Amino acid sequence: MMTSPATDPRLAIDFCGLAFASPLVLLSGCVGFGEEYTRVRGFSNRDVGAVCLKGTTLAPRLGNQPHRVFETPCGMLNAIGLQNPGVDHVVERILPGLDFAETRFIANVSGSTVEEYHEVTRRFDDSPIDAIEVNISCPNVKEGGVAFGNDIAMSAQVVTACRQATRKPLIIKLSPNQTDIAGNARACLEAGADAFSVINTLMGMAIDSERRRPVIGNNQGGLSGPAIKPIALLKVHQVYQVCRPHGVPIIGQGGVENGRDALEFLIAGASAVGIGTALFYDPLLCREINATIADYLTRHGLERVADLTGTLCLN
Amino acid sequence: MTDRPHRDTIALEDARVLSQDAYPGDQRILRLAAPACARDARPGQFVHLRCDPRLALRRPLSIMRADPDAGSIELLYKVVGEGTRLLATRRPGETLSLLGPIGQPFAPHAERPRALLIGGGVGLPPMVFLADALRRAPPWRPFAILGSEVPFPFDLQPARHPIAGLPAEASAAMPLLDDWGVPNRLASRQGYPGCFSGYVTDLAEHWLAALDEAARAEVEVFACGPHPMLAAVADLARRWGLPCQVSLEEYMACGVGGCAGCVVEVRTPDGPAMKRVCVDGPVFAAEQVFFAA
Ligand SMILES: Cc1cc2nc3c(=O)[nH]c(=O)nc-3n(C[C@H](O)[C@H](O)[C@H](O)COP(=O)(O)OP(=O)(O)OC[C@H]3O[C@@H](n4cnc5c(N)ncnc54)[C@H](O)[C@@H]3O)c2cc1C
Ligand SMILES: Cc1cc2nc3c(=O)[nH]c(=O)nc-3n(C[C@H](O)[C@H](O)[C@H](O)COP(=O)(O)O)c2cc1C
Ligand code: FES
Repeated sequence: MMTSPATDPRLAIDFCGLAFASPLVLLSGCVGFGEEYTRVRGFSNRDVGAVCLKGTTLAPRLGNQPHRVFETPCGMLNAIGLQNPGVDHVVERILPGLDFAETRFIANVSGSTVEEYHEVTRRFDDSPIDAIEVNISCPNVKEGGVAFGNDIAMSAQVVTACRQATRKPLIIKLSPNQTDIAGNARACLEAGADAFSVINTLMGMAIDSERRRPVIGNNQGGLSGPAIKPIALLKVHQVYQVCRPHGVPIIGQGGVENGRDALEFLIAGASAVGIGTALFYDPLLCREINATIADYLTRHGLERVADLTGTLCLN
Repeated sequence: MTDRPHRDTIALEDARVLSQDAYPGDQRILRLAAPACARDARPGQFVHLRCDPRLALRRPLSIMRADPDAGSIELLYKVVGEGTRLLATRRPGETLSLLGPIGQPFAPHAERPRALLIGGGVGLPPMVFLADALRRAPPWRPFAILGSEVPFPFDLQPARHPIAGLPAEASAAMPLLDDWGVPNRLASRQGYPGCFSGYVTDLAEHWLAALDEAARAEVEVFACGPHPMLAAVADLARRWGLPCQVSLEEYMACGVGGCAGCVVEVRTPDGPAMKRVCVDGPVFAAEQVFFAA
């Protein structure tokens, strides 16, 4: 029998005042609105500390034309285009169907304008959702479509607007598609961020040489999976330097596919570790990762997983 | 307490390769020991297979046969790229991680017992599975039309079950279906002996034209195959006023409804919507996905 987080209290963490049974978090866009993976026999939301729901906007969105996903070396590209039924539907129709006894649920907020971010956050504030993650990697329609998250001032604007709309834990999801992620984190922190998700996908392209066209309907897509892990580890390390003095936690993510990967993120400075793309080939891997972490704690004489966060010794 | 009927409907198992046989046109028939999947599988459903640990994503393949007693399933696939190439190297005794069965199966209506099954290329598997299910379930009387532009992955034999209204050249049949008592005919533009020279839809047209009106009112069409073939089948069904269900393909990541990567645009009473091929499909009503010109 595998160790399940419910039976190993050493894996529990306090994340912005929320009790997570395990440091593992299922990532936004990979598990729909929280119930999809329960189709798989043996899968349980209880195996993770929290589940991030699909990116949600004010109005419903149909999303992009196919193809939306494509395998690439050690990873995949996706361009879903934020298909979602709109925040009101999520709050009124989907949240009541979730079992909050199983895990913590985190909303993922997206927008095309600062006002939209504010409004979607406000509606989630008035809901049973446990925390709010803000995906600032969306294009700003008023600034020619440059992603909010790639610009420090625009990132801070979004965080300020969302902060005004909620007192729930506010997690800012940082984009790797920028030069100064630590500077961005600093600005977001000053604007009221409670925590960070590091990193979102890296933009990429796949080309069908026979047809001389991009494979992805949207032409470009976000790269995820093991291919981005080294980049993600460095970004977590960099953001952690900003967060450490303030005790602000990080959900480290990007290409985690086994227990060793998860340990590396914790050591780099993450308090929690996100799992996304890896679920696509192994829907049950969270149990195994929990067991590997628990075993590591035993072998290294650590009392709780939080003791591992940021224990990296630089050369 | 909220009802959650979707829970625990898909099994994850290590499927053991029982046999893998090669056929012309880079086709393979793969038999796997996958008892949980075999027990629950229904025609139209598929499995999501990990072809090789080196690949980041699984590959979806339709279930062609499921034997709950033996605990085995059978797949038919064509080698088209890296995933299927690696799958073709798997030998008996090796195991593959399998998720399944997945998706909405075909839903035949008993008031239309004359089921017309149309399968093209590697769209054959769900039609074989559906034929097997319908032959065991009165009142259905399935008739199958199978098309291929590469040699069929079985030896052709003279058809044993007479069918009115078909051109004489359509004289061969798929032995398995014939043995099951399911009348069937073959179509190809490659001039294979015993096959109707033309499209599956042309042969279907002959069959429908020979039925009287009362018989035609009992027809329901089921199809799986390349997109242009499905569009032609949808058009045929529309012209003859027949209900039609098609099985679709789209690139997939999770295969269980989590990523919204595999969508197809459908018409609904509330306007256009994006439906997931993996769990909302792969079977859709033809008029939902193929719109009249
Ligand atoms: C529900 C469903 C049932 C299917 N049933 C069968 C079957 O019974 N027999 C059969 O031969 N094929 C079937 N296919 C198609 C089969 O999944 C693809 O041929 C296969 O994924 C190709 O993988 P590859 O790596 O060899 O090819 P590549 O072209 O190298 O694949 C690259 C990527 O694109 C995806 N891809 C490419 N073509 C398709 C396609 N047509 N459909 C979905 N994804 C694709 C692959 O999964 C992979 O992620 C089915 C597809 C779906 C969606
Ligand atoms: C199919 C897919 C859809 C995604 N959708 C979203 C989304 O809606 N909002 C968001 O903030 N991140 C989204 N992401 C990014 C993931 O949440 C995650 O940050 C990223 O994939 C890196 O982790 P991974 O390598 O473990 O997948 C998506 C990722 C994938 C693969
Ligand atoms: S493949 Fe992920 S929703 Fe269908």
